Amino acid sequence: MTAAAEGRSPQPRRLPPWVRAGWRVGSSIVVTLLGLLGLTFFIGRMLPIDPVIAIVGEQAEQSTYDMVYKQLGLDRPLYVQFGYFIRDMMSGNFGQALFTGNRVIDDLRRVFPATIELATFAICIGVFVGVPVGMLAAVYRGRAIDHVARMVGLIGYSSPTFWLGLMGLVIFYAALGWVGGPGRLDVYFIDVVDLVTGSVLIDSAIAGEWDVFRNAFSHIVLPGSILGFASMAYISRMTRSFMLEQLGQEYVIAARVKGLSKWRVIWRHAFRNILVQLITVIALAYAFLLEGAVLTETVFAWPGFGRYLTAGLLAGDMNAVLACTLIIGLIFVGLNLLSDLLYRLLDPRTR
Amino acid sequence: MQKWRYALASALALALAGPVGSPATAATPKDTLVMAWNLDALITFDPAQIAEINGNDIIRNVCDPLVEYKLDDVSKIVPKTAESWSVSEDGLKLTFKLRPNLQFPSGKKATAHDLAWSMHRVLHLGFGASANLTQWGFSKDKAEQQIVATDDHTLVAHLDKPYPLQLILSAAFANQVTQLLDKEEGMKNAKVADGKSDHGNAFFKTAPICVGPYKVRTWNANDVVILERNDNYYGYDAYAGGKPALRRIVYRHVPESGAQRLQIEKGDIDVARLLNSDDLKALSSNKDVHIEQTLMHGFTYLVFNAADPILSNPKVRLAFRYLIDYEGLGKTVIQYLGAPRNSLVPIGAYAALNEKEGLPFKLDLDKAKQILAEAGYPQGFSKKYILSANTPNPPIAQHIAANAAKIGVKLELEQMADAHLFQRARNREFDVLQIGWGAGYPDADSMISRHAVNPDNRAEAKLAQYPSWRSSWQDQKVNQWAEAAKMERDPAKRIAMYADIQRYMLENGPMAYIYQTVRSIAIRKDVVKDFQIGPFWVAYGTAKK
Repeated sequence: MTAAAEGRSPQPRRLPPWVRAGWRVGSSIVVTLLGLLGLTFFIGRMLPIDPVIAIVGEQAEQSTYDMVYKQLGLDRPLYVQFGYFIRDMMSGNFGQALFTGNRVIDDLRRVFPATIELATFAICIGVFVGVPVGMLAAVYRGRAIDHVARMVGLIGYSSPTFWLGLMGLVIFYAALGWVGGPGRLDVYFIDVVDLVTGSVLIDSAIAGEWDVFRNAFSHIVLPGSILGFASMAYISRMTRSFMLEQLGQEYVIAARVKGLSKWRVIWRHAFRNILVQLITVIALAYAFLLEGAVLTETVFAWPGFGRYLTAGLLAGDMNAVLACTLIIGLIFVGLNLLSDLLYRLLDPRTR
Repeated sequence: MQKWRYALASALALALAGPVGSPATAATPKDTLVMAWNLDALITFDPAQIAEINGNDIIRNVCDPLVEYKLDDVSKIVPKTAESWSVSEDGLKLTFKLRPNLQFPSGKKATAHDLAWSMHRVLHLGFGASANLTQWGFSKDKAEQQIVATDDHTLVAHLDKPYPLQLILSAAFANQVTQLLDKEEGMKNAKVADGKSDHGNAFFKTAPICVGPYKVRTWNANDVVILERNDNYYGYDAYAGGKPALRRIVYRHVPESGAQRLQIEKGDIDVARLLNSDDLKALSSNKDVHIEQTLMHGFTYLVFNAADPILSNPKVRLAFRYLIDYEGLGKTVIQYLGAPRNSLVPIGAYAALNEKEGLPFKLDLDKAKQILAEAGYPQGFSKKYILSANTPNPPIAQHIAANAAKIGVKLELEQMADAHLFQRARNREFDVLQIGWGAGYPDADSMISRHAVNPDNRAEAKLAQYPSWRSSWQDQKVNQWAEAAKMERDPAKRIAMYADIQRYMLENGPMAYIYQTVRSIAIRKDVVKDFQIGPFWVAYGTAKK
C-alpha cells in the first residue's frame, strides 16, 4: 500500500525504478485479489443456499428468521453488501463466521496453522523424495528405476486420496499400529501443550514436551505422507522431464568430454539449470497443499483449512468463504512473487 | 556433491523412520470417556441459543433444567434443580421449590434469582429456543412479571392458560430454557452494542457457568470438546460412591464413519456416535463392541403440496402410503437408522399410538392403483420430488419412484444440499418433498401442534415453522380438535383425543411418514458400563469404566 500511496505523489516520473516496479506489482495484486473476491462473492450469493437457516435452525419461526436476515444485512442490495465486506476487510475485520459462531479471523488462526503443518510435512516428502527420484529416472531413462518411478508416480496421481487415506489407516494404524489414528493427538496428550504457533509439532518441541511431540509426529506421518505422495508424483515427473531436456544439451556432452565425472556434470551443471523451473513447480505444489485437502482432512479428522472452507461453502457462509478465498489468493500471489525473486537470485540471466 | 548426498540420505532416512516413529497409545484413560462424533454443527453452548442436537446432547450434561424426562421413559417427569412443584387451583400459577444445595462449579450458591434471570434472558435474546417459552404464552415484554423468584428457593411461573401439568412441564420446564446459569457472571460479562445487552451470550457461548454434573473445560471448534466433573454438583447423592466415576468426557471430532469404526475397533475411543449402516453392520459382529439402538423422536417423511390440484386430493396422498415397502426398507436401507412408522406421534411420546396401530400401511401396488383410480387418476400423473442428497434419502426416494412408476405415477427426483432443501420447504416450493423433522418434547402435542395444526394457511402468514403450513394444508376440524386436546386436563381423555387425531391424520394428513429415527451408538462393552442413552440426549453421569 505504501507503494500505491507513493505512486500517487505529484512527481511520478521522477520515481526510482524500484518504486515503479513495486507500484506495478502492488496494483496488479490488488486488482487480482479484488476480482477474485468479487467473483467469489457474487457467485456465492447466487447459490441457492440460505445462510440464515444455518443460524436459526430449520424449525425456526419466520419472525426469528426475518430478524437474523436483517442482522446479516441480506436485505441490502448485493453491491452494497460487497462494499461493506471490502470496507470491513480493509480494517482487518472479516466478520463473524455464521456456521461456527466465531470471528472468522479467530477460526483462521486455529485452522490455518494445522494446514500449514500438514502441507509443510507433505511438501518436504514431495521434494526430498520426488526430486532425487526424478533425477534418477532421467539419468537412467528407460531402465528399471525409470519404470518403477513412473508407475509409482501414476499411482500417486490417480489414487483417490480418500481411499488411500482409509487404506492407510486400516493398514498402518489399525492392523500394524505403527502410526496414530485420526486427529492431531491421542487423547492423553490433548491440552498438555498450549498452542502458540498453532503447530503441535513446533509448540511441543518449544515446550520440551517430547512425548507430545512424538505422539503428534505419529499422527501427522500418515496424512502427511499421503498428501506428500501426490506431490512427490508430480514433482518427480516434472524433475524428470526438465532433466531430460538438459541432459540432451551440448554443454553436458562438452563437460563430459572435458573429463568431468557423470554425477558431477549432472549435479553441478544440469541440476543448476533446472533449479529455476523446479522452484516454480514446488511453489505451485506447496500452494495447492496450503489450500487444504478436504478429503484427507476429513478422513484424518484434521481440523484444517480445507474442511473449514468446504463447511463454510455448504452453509452459505460468505464471510468465511471470502476470507478463505482471500488467503488462497494471497498464497498464490505470495508464492509466485517468491519464486520470481528466487529466479533473480538463482539465474544470472534474469538480472 | 557431498552435500546433496547427505541431503538425499537424510530425506530417505526421515521417510523410512516415519512409520516406526512412535507407536500409537492404545486404550483410553480409566477416568475419561472418549467419544467420536461429528461436531460440525456445534456453534454455541449458550442454552438460550442452542438449536441443534449435538449441542443439546452436551449441554444436558452441563446444565440442569428444572425438571427432566426420565431417560428410559420420557413420558414421565422427574425432578432436577426443582425438588418439588405445585399448581394453583385455577391452573394458572406454577410454583417450583428449588433444592437447597444448588451450587455452581466454583462452589458459589445458585438461587431461584439466577434461574429467573436465565429464563428472562432466553426471552430477551429471542433465538429459536425462546419458542419453547413463547408458545406457552411467555413473552419478552412481560418476562419479569411472568417468571418471578419469590425467594432464593422458590420460582413462580404465571401461565396465560391452564395447560395440563404434564404437557407444560414436558414442553417448557424440562427444556433447555430452564437451565440455570450464573446471573452475576452473565451480567458482569454482558456486552452492550447499540444500547442492547447480549445478556452474556458471547461469554456463555464457550463457557456456560451452570448447575450440572459436568462443566465445559475445553472447546476447540471442529476438533475437540472436553467436559470435566463438577465437584460441587448437588446430584451426586444419586450416584453410588457419591460422584460420577468419570472425571472427564472427551468428544473428538471425527467426521468420517470409517475412521470412527477403526478407532473403536482399536480401543482408541470408547463410544462411536456417528456410524453409517455399513460400519454398524460390520461392527455388529465384533464381540468387544455393543450397538445400542434408541428410538428418537424424529421422522423422515413425505410432504405433499396441497396447493397442487392433484395432490390436494386426500385419496392421491393415501395411494402414496401404499407405495412404500416399509418392512423391506427397515431391513435394508434404514437398518440401524430408523424404524418404520406411519403415525405422526413417535413411539415413546405421551399419548402415542402403539407400534401396531401406528404402522397400518404396507406395500400394496394393487390397492394404490385402485385408490388412484377412485381419485380420478387411473392413468397416473407426473410430479417433481425433491430430497436431500444425504444418505439414506436417495435410495428411499428411488424405491418410492420405482413403485410409483408401476402404477403410472412419474416422479422426477431432484437431490440437493440440506440448506437448499430447507429453503425450498419453507417457501412451499415443491410438489412432493422428502425431509426430516425432530419433535421438541415427548408429548403428542409436539408433533400435532406443528404437523396437523395450521393456524393460518395464507401465504403471507409465512408460518414456515409449521410443516402443515409448508404443505398448504389446513383442516379447521383438526385445529379445533388439537386445541381441545391440548387444554384437556383429564389425562385419560387427553390420551383418547390424541389417538383420534392420529388415526384421522393417518388417512387424511398431508404427510406420509416413512420411519421414526433410530440412533445407533457403538460402545466398547468391555470398557464402558451404565451408559444411559435417551431419545433426546445421552447422560454420562452414571457411566463407569
